[in-house]
Amino acid sequence: MLTFLLRRLLAAIPTLFGVALITFVLFNLVGGDPTYQMLGKHATAQQVAELRHEYGFDRPLPIQFVDYLKQIVTFDFGRSYATKQEISSMISNSLGPSMSLAIPAFIVTTLLGIVIALLVAYHRGRAVDRVGVVLCVIGMSLPSLAYILFGQYVLAYQMGWFPISGWDSEWSERWSYISMPLLIWVAVSLGHEVRFFRTAILEETGQDYVRTARAKGLPEKRVFFKHVLKNSMVPIVTNVVLEIPLLILGAFLLEGFFGIPGIGSMTIDAVNNSDLPVLKAMTTLTSFLMIFGNLMTDIVYTWVDPRVSLK
Amino acid sequence: MKVRVGHALRAGLVGVAALAILVSGCSKKGGVAPGTLRYPIRAKVKGLDPIHADDEFSGTISHAPYENLYQYHYLKRPFTLVPQLAAAMPTISKDGKIWTIPLRQGVLFHDDPSFKATAGKGREMTADDVIYSFKRLADPKNRSSGWWVLDGKILGLNAWREAATKAGTTDYAAPVEGLVALDKYTLQLKLPQPSYQLIYSLQMTFTSIVPREAVEHYGKEFINHAVGTGPWKLSEFNGSAKAVFVKNPTYREELYPSEGEAGDAEKGLLADAGKRLPLADKLVYTIFVEDQPMWLNFMKGTLDITTIPKDNFAQAVGPDGQMTPDMKTQNITLHVTPQLDVTHESFNMDDPLVGKNKYLRQAMSLAINDKPFIETFYNGRAIPAQGPIPPGLAGYDEKLKNPYRQFNLEKAKQLLAKAGFPEGKGLPTLEYITYSNSTNRQFNEYIEREWATLGVKVKFTTYSWPEFQASIKNRKGQIWSFAWGGDYPDAENFLQLFYSKNGSPGPNDSNFKNAEFDRLYEKALLLPDSPARTALYQQMQAIVIEESPWIPMVHRLGYNATRSWLKNFKRIDEQHNPSKYYRVEAPAKN
Repeated sequence: MLTFLLRRLLAAIPTLFGVALITFVLFNLVGGDPTYQMLGKHATAQQVAELRHEYGFDRPLPIQFVDYLKQIVTFDFGRSYATKQEISSMISNSLGPSMSLAIPAFIVTTLLGIVIALLVAYHRGRAVDRVGVVLCVIGMSLPSLAYILFGQYVLAYQMGWFPISGWDSEWSERWSYISMPLLIWVAVSLGHEVRFFRTAILEETGQDYVRTARAKGLPEKRVFFKHVLKNSMVPIVTNVVLEIPLLILGAFLLEGFFGIPGIGSMTIDAVNNSDLPVLKAMTTLTSFLMIFGNLMTDIVYTWVDPRVSLK
Repeated sequence: MKVRVGHALRAGLVGVAALAILVSGCSKKGGVAPGTLRYPIRAKVKGLDPIHADDEFSGTISHAPYENLYQYHYLKRPFTLVPQLAAAMPTISKDGKIWTIPLRQGVLFHDDPSFKATAGKGREMTADDVIYSFKRLADPKNRSSGWWVLDGKILGLNAWREAATKAGTTDYAAPVEGLVALDKYTLQLKLPQPSYQLIYSLQMTFTSIVPREAVEHYGKEFINHAVGTGPWKLSEFNGSAKAVFVKNPTYREELYPSEGEAGDAEKGLLADAGKRLPLADKLVYTIFVEDQPMWLNFMKGTLDITTIPKDNFAQAVGPDGQMTPDMKTQNITLHVTPQLDVTHESFNMDDPLVGKNKYLRQAMSLAINDKPFIETFYNGRAIPAQGPIPPGLAGYDEKLKNPYRQFNLEKAKQLLAKAGFPEGKGLPTLEYITYSNSTNRQFNEYIEREWATLGVKVKFTTYSWPEFQASIKNRKGQIWSFAWGGDYPDAENFLQLFYSKNGSPGPNDSNFKNAEFDRLYEKALLLPDSPARTALYQQMQAIVIEESPWIPMVHRLGYNATRSWLKNFKRIDEQHNPSKYYRVEAPAKN
């Protein structure tokens, strides 16, 4: 196990290097020069030159790339070009709001998705299954913006069930503000999750060992919940664990419309402003988390399926 | 079993929804205390350090806790400067080069832990604080985008800045010839040459007065703190969500104005004359990056004021330009004034084709029909621009008709032929640079269609916003669309956009060069506000119209809607925070 972990961690180094290289090349080639935006509309040629020198934009690209690698190692990306705020503070301040929406939404979606998938799969081909699949397709087909506009106008403005938007640092108030975006997150994601989980479960029901179990005369519920469910957990766990690192990116549309000061909208702002330090930090952080997520998936496999061993 | 499954499924879904509603319903809703102003801000706010407040929203919020030497009179129009931290308007020497400014006595900074010598009690503001604040703006280490407001205007300040750049450190103790504290309450400014625009600099957020102790105490985190002398003291700040201020208990005595312009008394704007400011107890700015939640919050009564988003315009304002009956029923009031701005198409005057062919530029200008353009893109909320000077400024002439902005396709075709391209023959496809967003795509299609009828073809090169700015500043592309929002209410701020010494990367993006224009501009700089200066402004504008480095498009109208309980609202577009004058009569009603 330890050897496996070390090997995987070492393999992560070239992956991170590749991600860093792509990020660097991409934003240096097409990201635009943030100098003019930073200096404002009255910039002079001298100020432009001084700022470019101060930030090292006039240095050869390989040297700038080496500096970037140093930042990755120390995880010190300095301050944002656009806001002049410290990037570590920006991330830590945005992470809480994003996670206070993303984590409950993720847990509710996953649990509800598994429960509903089990129910529709158990009743495969019957009315419950057909209605469930149709609802999933409808849910997946509607853009999230439609849910947001409907939610804010009908549920919040007209019905008054929720605040229209807002944010509060106190948890007692925060729950009221994240309840509707949470509901929308679940509604938007549930269709996809249920369909995926249902497919994974149904694939197992067609396996030889299930036929054998039924031939032995095991009750259907026992076949389904003891054998099928356990084996279908491998693809389900893979899907779920791999989604966890992506939670860090937040949900920029929900954050934007509901006034949640999260990491998703922070990242979008950085893209729009060519705020390279923030983008470097977010790319690196996401890469780390993806690598960690993959590693966790492999470890969880061993718990779910004893046949899997890590070497 | 089937029945049980159906029940379980329904129960699960209903449970999630009910829990969400329950959680939401359990929270405190509404309940806004009387005297709380709830104000929307249309973008995230970078921070509160006034020397970095270079966008409208940072500027607005930074003006809540900080003050300047001067401010605009809240009610008088045209805009009139009156003392704020200064005790009187400056006394200016005969040669215009020495300004003596008396300061108010007994003005205290907000209480803050950075005032260690007074155990956290805010100390008195003096002339040394003004000098420190101006030097801080000039400090090259701070890289303030607002340095231009003092650049070249104070004797010795540029040299002080250059010395700091060369040394790599800044010596705040080093004297600056043009910044002198004659005594604790008297500031003397010495100018290298007369500048009648300097007074405007002294009301801009960049020149707000900050205490050295707080700047040094918080270091780079000063951007997240606010220690000023203003009516509002910072209570909570998250630049992505909200900023909350409470009434500053140590605020000096400042009174609501007792006079305004004609009609103000009838509108109730003098009802609070003579009352001590601020009139509200608390100020809550909420950040909205999307229009819908801002509008719905206003309609729900959880905001006291709003701008009117394009998509909600028809709901709010009828074809007659008045509030719709639905809005009137809710006692919502509409406020409309021209903004101090101009949108325009710019030609790259360094380009060998469009920059050297006046008739081509004039033809393209004549081919754009402004009436459907304004209806399509501004819901009619704009005034066709005839030149760069916007309404409300000396030099603006509402009777002026720019001969190249009166839509006339036939005349445009004649000019195109005169330019050497009859019906567009021989004219290569022109490069129009733009940045990516949905409104721009629609705008580009409109312009492309208009010019196609003339025989002029354009291809669009689309960039991100920073790339777009860099392209303009590096003189790439042949045509682009841009807007200029006035920094202060003087036509000079718009005419400087054509002064050759302000070429890229300066504000003269089109790199227009005209010796006669430059001569008139330099002459006008030395004159105070007067009919002679206004005449020079109009001569300069005439040159711009004839040479057409721009196609002036519109001066936008600013719209606000206010709830009935918000009193004393008067539109003011300068980067100025009028919140101290507002009164909230009753709690919000849903």
